[in-house]
Amino acid sequence: MESTMAAAPLVAVVAGALAVLFLEAFLKRKESELPAWAAVAALAAAGFFTVRSWNRGLACFGGRLSLDPLALVLMSLFVLAGMAVVLMGLKYAVRRDMNLGQFCGLLLLAVAGAMIMVSTANWLIVFLGLEVLSVASYALTGLKRNDAASSEAAAKYFLLGSFAGASFVFGLAFVYGTSGSLDLSSGLSPAGTVGLGLILIALFFKIALAPFHMWAPDVYEGAPTPVTAFLTVVPKAAGLAVLIRVVSPAVFVPVLSVVAVLTMFAGNLAALRQTSLKRMLAYSSVAHSGYLLVAVIARDAESFAFYLVAYLFMNAGAFGVLAAVTGKGIEYTALDDFAGLGRRNPWLAAGLAIFLLSLAGFPPMAGFLAKFYVFGAAVREGHIVLVVAAVLASLVSVAYYLKVIVFMYMREGDTDIVVERENPALYMVIFLCLFGTLQLGVWPGNLLTLIRLAFSVAF
Amino acid sequence: MNAPLVSLVTFLPLTGAVLLIFFRSGSDRAVRATALAVSLLTFALSLALFFGFDGGTGLPEFTERASWLGRGIDYHVGVDGISLFLVLLATFLTPLALLSSWRAVDHRVREFSFFMLLLETGMIGVFVSLNLFLFYVFWEAMLVPMYFLIGIWGGRRRIYATMKFVLFTMFGSLLMLVGILVLHAAYHAATGAYSLTIADLAAVPFSPTLQTWLFLAFGLAFAVKIPLFPLHTWLPDAHVEAPTAGSVLLAAVLLKMGAYGFLRLGLPLFPQAAATFAPALSILAVIGIIYGGLMALVQKDMKSLVAYSSVSHMGLVMLAVFSLNFEATEGALYQMLNHGLSTGALFLCVGILYERTHTRLIADYGGAAARMPVFAGFFLVTMLSSAGLPGLNGFVGEILCFFGIFAADKTLAILSVATVVLSAAYLLGLYRRVMYGPLKDPNDGRLRDIDGRELACLIPIIVLIVTMGLFPGTVLRKMDAAVGRYIGTVKSAPPAAPARAAPGNPDRVGQAPGVPER
Repeated sequence: MESTMAAAPLVAVVAGALAVLFLEAFLKRKESELPAWAAVAALAAAGFFTVRSWNRGLACFGGRLSLDPLALVLMSLFVLAGMAVVLMGLKYAVRRDMNLGQFCGLLLLAVAGAMIMVSTANWLIVFLGLEVLSVASYALTGLKRNDAASSEAAAKYFLLGSFAGASFVFGLAFVYGTSGSLDLSSGLSPAGTVGLGLILIALFFKIALAPFHMWAPDVYEGAPTPVTAFLTVVPKAAGLAVLIRVVSPAVFVPVLSVVAVLTMFAGNLAALRQTSLKRMLAYSSVAHSGYLLVAVIARDAESFAFYLVAYLFMNAGAFGVLAAVTGKGIEYTALDDFAGLGRRNPWLAAGLAIFLLSLAGFPPMAGFLAKFYVFGAAVREGHIVLVVAAVLASLVSVAYYLKVIVFMYMREGDTDIVVERENPALYMVIFLCLFGTLQLGVWPGNLLTLIRLAFSVAF
Repeated sequence: MNAPLVSLVTFLPLTGAVLLIFFRSGSDRAVRATALAVSLLTFALSLALFFGFDGGTGLPEFTERASWLGRGIDYHVGVDGISLFLVLLATFLTPLALLSSWRAVDHRVREFSFFMLLLETGMIGVFVSLNLFLFYVFWEAMLVPMYFLIGIWGGRRRIYATMKFVLFTMFGSLLMLVGILVLHAAYHAATGAYSLTIADLAAVPFSPTLQTWLFLAFGLAFAVKIPLFPLHTWLPDAHVEAPTAGSVLLAAVLLKMGAYGFLRLGLPLFPQAAATFAPALSILAVIGIIYGGLMALVQKDMKSLVAYSSVSHMGLVMLAVFSLNFEATEGALYQMLNHGLSTGALFLCVGILYERTHTRLIADYGGAAARMPVFAGFFLVTMLSSAGLPGLNGFVGEILCFFGIFAADKTLAILSVATVVLSAAYLLGLYRRVMYGPLKDPNDGRLRDIDGRELACLIPIIVLIVTMGLFPGTVLRKMDAAVGRYIGTVKSAPPAAPARAAPGNPDRVGQAPGVPER
């Protein structure tokens, strides 16, 4: 149904972004929290419009922006992720000398970019969304102006990201030149397939799939922690959603399978050797894009969406705990810093332990069920070897997730780690993530019904 | 009775564990008492299961079913003659294990009790699940508390041991997860409906190739857990490093899950593949029996001696399971209970000694019987039960196993009798070196005799050991129908090796061949 309401979520987010940036410019007190709440309000509005257009098949701009179930589910996910990240960054920004207004504004723009990416079937629009998302992400990564690692990460991300962008455009030129159309679902000539390959490489880069994941650990480690939480979920989800729309040509399934196996093992094996929790989680997020790719290969949007929601909760929760562990201007991310945390901060340690166990895929946490559905979908489609590789990769991941727990509970250590005390927003996020992680693991009925209903409509 | 008894028994410990979170740190006594009370209450409820259990049909009783995630994944629990006693074993030993660590665990008592109760829920859950997904959830979830129990309260190399334990077990069970997914898809392909109910799955004859792969995937998970011979290396490490309570539950209940897995899933779901692989697995089991026994002979550490004896004893259980006949299966089940009781008690005894001297090396002991006469008596009975002395429970189980194994394969039966000789050798050797000989007690007075709390730990087990040795019918009769049904499912497929026909009628096993004189 053609309706301008289809653009409403997007408009809400972009308007919010502009409002926040203006607000920041005219605000007297730099530590004011007003921009953050404005951003939350904008996201809430976007969420409202998203829910309102549920299952109504809205579209606008001649169908170039269409809200199909996949788009709606993912847009809600982006809204949730955006809110969680804003709340996580509320105090973090002040402590790290980050400009809260810029942080929120850029974040909203990134969300807008991701929303554009998932709600179109047109290559050019995808590129538009991808660039909006990317440019905002580069800037977000470098927001810690006084931190060399943050600037380095931003520069690296920007340089490599530009290459990926160029590759995307080049591939797009191939596709358009040969087929004369910018539709994702049209049939392809051989040259068009080469073009599609180039586009895929660009997307692999954005999703951080092996062998194009080299930038990811440095960027995720250097970026401010709330931004890392954002980068590990939203761009991946958007890129994979684009993949799930184009993967139909069967020629790509073998390639994607190889990439998925490579990604899972590259991420997990590298994570084994890390001594910094943040870097370990960065590699783990690379591995998780591998699992998500399995869902893409199985072309199962349901399990894909469920995995993303579960991953959002457990991943944001883990980074939230990381953000809560702060000193005076220093981030404590080394594993040694976490030694004995189980004794000194039992609640925080228990939270992190649950997030990690969920990431490792232990029942009854959300991560297990998410893996169960994704792998189940892949088995149904006959990709059994892929699933065996995936479970072996997740066996490797168990080793390093449990290593963190070993440090927290089974080693004694006196570190000068300081835990955030007065940060209700952050703790609320951690608590909600914890709730989500457990609830989706034990009684995910509500979300499952929602997702199944959404996808039972033709898509 | 309409109360959801099975769910109560399963989740009461979990409720208790959640309750413990709200205790203030420092209130150790209250925490211990609460945990013990919860586990005792659980045991009392499980007794209601025992007495209410009819066992005439061989079908699961006390079943509860509720839809959970849809598409065949239901909350579906119940007990039958195979699982009932394993549930009882878990509920019986958990309070004793808690009691035994009253003094041994003196730091982070709240967390310890929390994980113990969590573990209990996991163990019971595995045995009562009638849905494959639920089974897997409990099977995996149970690893987490055990991981913490070994890792926090264990010995010097605890971190290595606990990681090895988790990774070994996970390796097997993740492949089982793939197997479950394949089974789910295959059932859907065969019938058009979704189901992961174990009974439904068993009713569908899958193709032999599929059966083979699935049997290997499931079998690996169970073989690691039992542990079957080449996959046993995690066990001695985990046992030696685990705290006493952890060792007790690990040996007594966790190892049974592997054998239970074969009985509940491995064999009934894939009977043809099971029949094909039974000879090979039997040989592995025999190797395990002899290898475990020989290793136990040369151990210097009491705990690793008991651990290797577990490898040996579980080898016998598996050999009996793979004999695929009525006597052997019933013997295997009985022997699982015996092993749970006697090895649990052995670990308790070693724990009692360790608490006094802080060493587990056999060489550091000698003549302890002079100082601890009462303890010596209990230790002896436990040991003889483990070695299979007539009149005690071990004998009944072993003789039933041997009858069945002999019917299936005479060579293997003769080889497996080695377990009797070996276990007598290493256990009595241990007893002689620790309890007799010149007294080694440099700091006089460290070897006190056991006190009331330790008596309370050991007496119930000893009572059961004797009762089950004298009146095996009480237990066996409740198993008969379920085992008969089980043999029926396994045998309905064309058997590969001609074994003696299953005597489907449960009456004659009332006076099982192994019943000793009364």
